[in-house]
Amino acid sequence: MSVPDYLQCAEDHQTVLVVVQPVGIVPEDQFFKIYKRIASVSQVSIRDSQRLLYIRYRHHYLPENNEWGDFQTHRKVVGLISITTCGPAKEWPQTAERFHGQKEVYSSTLYDSRLLVFGLQGEIAEQQRTDVAFYPSFEDCSDVEKRVEDFVESIFIVLESKRLDRATDKSGDKIPLLCVPFEKKDFVGLDTDSRHYKKRCQGRMRKHVGDLCLQAGMLQDALVHYHMAVELLRGVNDFLWLGAALEGLCSASVIFHYPGGTAGKTAGRKPSISQPADAGKRHRPGEHMILGALTANGISADTSTEIGRAKNCLSPEDIIEKYKEAISYYGKYKNAGVIELEACVKAVRVLAIQKRAREASEFLQNAVYINLGQLSEEEKIQRYSILSELYELIGFHRKSAFFKRVAAMQCVAPTIPEPGWRACYKLLLETLPGYSLSLDPKDFSKGTHRGWAAVQMRLLHELVYASRRMGNPGLSVRHLSFLLQTMLDFLSDQEKKEVTQSLENYTSKCPGGMEVITLPDGLKLPPVPFTKLPIVRSVKLLNLPVSLRPHKVKGLLGQNMSTASPFIYSPIIMHNRGEERCKKIDFQWVQGDVCEVQLMVYNPMPYELRVENMGLLTSGVEFESLPAALSLPAESGLYPVTLVGVPRTAGNITVNGYHTSVFGVTSDCLLEGLAGVKSSGCLVEVIPSLPRLQLSTSLPRSEHHLMKELSSTVSVQLFNGETQQLTITLENIGSEQIETLELTSKIVNTKEKVFGEFLSWELEEASSHLPLKPGQAVTLAVSIKVKLDFSGQESLLQDLNDDGISVTGLPISSPLRQVLKPRSETKPVSSESGKAEYSHVKTLEAVLNFKYSGGPGKVEGYYRELSLGVHVDVEPSVFFTRVSTLPATSTRQCHLLLDIFNPTEHELTVSAKNNQDLVLHASECQRMAIQVDKFDFESLPQPDQETARFTNPKQLEEERQHAQGCQINSKLGICWSIISFQCACCSVTMK
Amino acid sequence: MNYTSRANNYPLYIRSVPTQNELKFHYTVHTSLDVVEEKISAVGKSLGDQRELYLGLLYPTEDYKVYGYVTNSKVKFVIVVDSSNTSLRDNEIRSMFRKLHNSFTDVMCNPFHNPGDQIQSKAFDGIVSGMMVQTG
Repeated sequence: MSVPDYLQCAEDHQTVLVVVQPVGIVPEDQFFKIYKRIASVSQVSIRDSQRLLYIRYRHHYLPENNEWGDFQTHRKVVGLISITTCGPAKEWPQTAERFHGQKEVYSSTLYDSRLLVFGLQGEIAEQQRTDVAFYPSFEDCSDVEKRVEDFVESIFIVLESKRLDRATDKSGDKIPLLCVPFEKKDFVGLDTDSRHYKKRCQGRMRKHVGDLCLQAGMLQDALVHYHMAVELLRGVNDFLWLGAALEGLCSASVIFHYPGGTAGKTAGRKPSISQPADAGKRHRPGEHMILGALTANGISADTSTEIGRAKNCLSPEDIIEKYKEAISYYGKYKNAGVIELEACVKAVRVLAIQKRAREASEFLQNAVYINLGQLSEEEKIQRYSILSELYELIGFHRKSAFFKRVAAMQCVAPTIPEPGWRACYKLLLETLPGYSLSLDPKDFSKGTHRGWAAVQMRLLHELVYASRRMGNPGLSVRHLSFLLQTMLDFLSDQEKKEVTQSLENYTSKCPGGMEVITLPDGLKLPPVPFTKLPIVRSVKLLNLPVSLRPHKVKGLLGQNMSTASPFIYSPIIMHNRGEERCKKIDFQWVQGDVCEVQLMVYNPMPYELRVENMGLLTSGVEFESLPAALSLPAESGLYPVTLVGVPRTAGNITVNGYHTSVFGVTSDCLLEGLAGVKSSGCLVEVIPSLPRLQLSTSLPRSEHHLMKELSSTVSVQLFNGETQQLTITLENIGSEQIETLELTSKIVNTKEKVFGEFLSWELEEASSHLPLKPGQAVTLAVSIKVKLDFSGQESLLQDLNDDGISVTGLPISSPLRQVLKPRSETKPVSSESGKAEYSHVKTLEAVLNFKYSGGPGKVEGYYRELSLGVHVDVEPSVFFTRVSTLPATSTRQCHLLLDIFNPTEHELTVSAKNNQDLVLHASECQRMAIQVDKFDFESLPQPDQETARFTNPKQLEEERQHAQGCQINSKLGICWSIISFQCACCSVTMK
Repeated sequence: MNYTSRANNYPLYIRSVPTQNELKFHYTVHTSLDVVEEKISAVGKSLGDQRELYLGLLYPTEDYKVYGYVTNSKVKFVIVVDSSNTSLRDNEIRSMFRKLHNSFTDVMCNPFHNPGDQIQSKAFDGIVSGMMVQTG
């Protein structure tokens, strides 16, 4: 007896063993179909006696095991059902021959046998034979179950007669000695007449009768017999059989206590369908006892000693004690290893029912050490698997996983010529729960790591290896990705390197993706997104650049006050307690324009990480993601990455996450699944498309930044009074027509008083080109005039004023001139002393604002703003240091004497109306006399009383002065120009 | 000889001498948790908080003896010793556990220690090393 039956359980002791075998060639599927039908007759209630007979079917049973039938009768093959196909009638004798041959194998123990013949027709089939049944085909055999029941009844009759025969055989004159195969030679030449020997014979026979009673459904009788056997055998130190008697006692008690069975769900006895409905009910402990008593009285004349029935039965605690004892007796015999192992398994099942896991584990521990001699690899696998199952049964999941893993490793042991990687992989998968591993990365994304990382990692490595050897690189990639993703914190730098290297090797053959892998047995492997390669710390949606931001026309009343509350402030705030990420961000993206999302990422790996094809995952509107590739240095700090894309339709867009491709594995990382990601909201409105305007100017760009929001700034350096023409070219670089264009200007941050218009333009010319189609351009001329008051610079004036007469500086003239190069270059670096003081530069800054709109965005009421900063450095030009008058020859005229100072480093010519030019060298002061008509300020129009009333006196004064200035200007028409500039377009204009 | 301490069924601290074949000890300790849990659940029902922290011998294997100890906050300590080491009686093991527990408490008192993280304390290391040297 070398092959243990690991599925045995205590109640198997009350079954009779029937072997079902094919004879000749029977298709396997047909055989098992019939086998299943036969096996459904697992309990038969015997007519007249109300007893139940349990049958255990095997389609494969070693005759070697059959030899232990005397030791424990449930190991004895008592019935044989052969299944055969038989075509033509002439084959029949041959088939019958084979059937007899098969019967021979078990002949020593067989009570009865049947042959089921399929396919044979003709006169042979007409014969009525009890041991042979003929069926025309595998389909047409409705009474198989009935046949089997009849067969079982015939077995029962034999069993019952044997039982009675043995039980009543009390004469004692010649009880044969029952023995197990390995004992036979031990008893050769033994004195058969000794008291000792006789007692041994008696004890063994008692035990045997107990077995038979148990099988025949007479539980109480069996208990009595077992008790007697124990006493007898204990006296003669027949340990092996004592063990068997004790085990029998245990089995009977277990059957009594746990009628539901100990084998668990799979092998549990269910009332078979063919049984009458009340068959199941009969099997209850109380009833059972009564039944047992009744039948004992009715049939058995013996077992007269009516000891209290319940007393014979062991208590649950005793069962375990007795099992222990029995196993210790079995342990004395090396050849009884299988019996011992099976006893252990049975005891464990009982303990599992009793929920005494720790004691069960002791039995199992013992079972591990039972040496069954040389086991084949397959047997080893079976053994480990069953150990694992039993550990699972008692709730020792880790131990169970351990043994399952050992079994898995056994499948691919180097000694096996054809390693079963598939089986190994399947077993390994089953160990996962024991190591608190699931293959869903979501379980690991929250909180601390679950389970024992060191062993989990090992298991994952084995899964990877097994799946690779199975020839399924897709699985390897999935497992390896999982390993990398979930165990990253536990991998050493060296291991990280190794894992990624092998991952890259695998993905070169089979790229990893986001699809769910379904295994043949239905297990689904969810995708593993690499959310840790790289780790994303924050996600921020970026607004469009200032020049492209859409603005809403604030036409409708209360558009900004659209909140539900009528109060400006209320302590009861309508908190939107929704998820932060769902909050809408208060800027808009524009359809068709590139939008940006900034991620702060870092690389946890000890080497450079190449992330390819990194893009955004969005929902809500059609979005064209423009993927980026990046390379992160080893263990980088936070690293900003900007992902861009273009929304193709309008609506609300939600940024759900991002996708990457790392080591050949593409992953879709959803933000909601990421821990520790800061986000200020991921929902943004996309408005319909708007045109885009590009601006270029005739003046050089400057680095000056007036305000941050400006798209560009031009700068120019001018002398006071100069006028500069600025040509602005506006080009529509978008895809929509520009339908409206507005231009406004604003002077910013200057305390200087500006005379006249700083910036002036004619928009009509440009507007006439509207609508501006994509790609078209329009030009616009803006003239820059600088007229500033430099008189405030006292240091300058003090130097110049000989006679202390100060002149309020008036903007005198304005030469028009194209500036060719920045003025600063022409300035001598080391100017003469004193000069520098005079060249105080004042700055004037203004912003030109273009509002434009068009396309679908205009319909929605949006427009865009493009702004151009104008930065002007104003240098002082001509100073009038002294003004005095002299009477002229005509009384209506007078001579105006002007002391003119040239603070520049250039030669100047100053001209006035009807006067010759005056050449002024750098830093030169000269007097100029102009003959002018006298005029009266009183003739100037007075501001009307209405306005005067509402403006303060100072303003009035200013206004008057301004008016006077204009008057003087127009009379004098003083102009200046700088000679040294080549392009001497110093055309003089009258003012 | 191998000491580990753990809570919530993932290891907080593992130390073994000799260091080769450490994975084997990982398995040993991991599977011993089945027994620990079984013992706690059995005791927990009957005695409540009057529980004895020392669980005694969890199970003997061929080469090693595995002892267990569980604090009231269910932090588990497991000591695996060579079966051939006869100098270690139950009492010695018990005092080792007590020492370990005290040291663990000190670690937990460190305001910079985040409970649930792996223990990286020099003092704790020292205590464990001391015990390992003592027992050989």
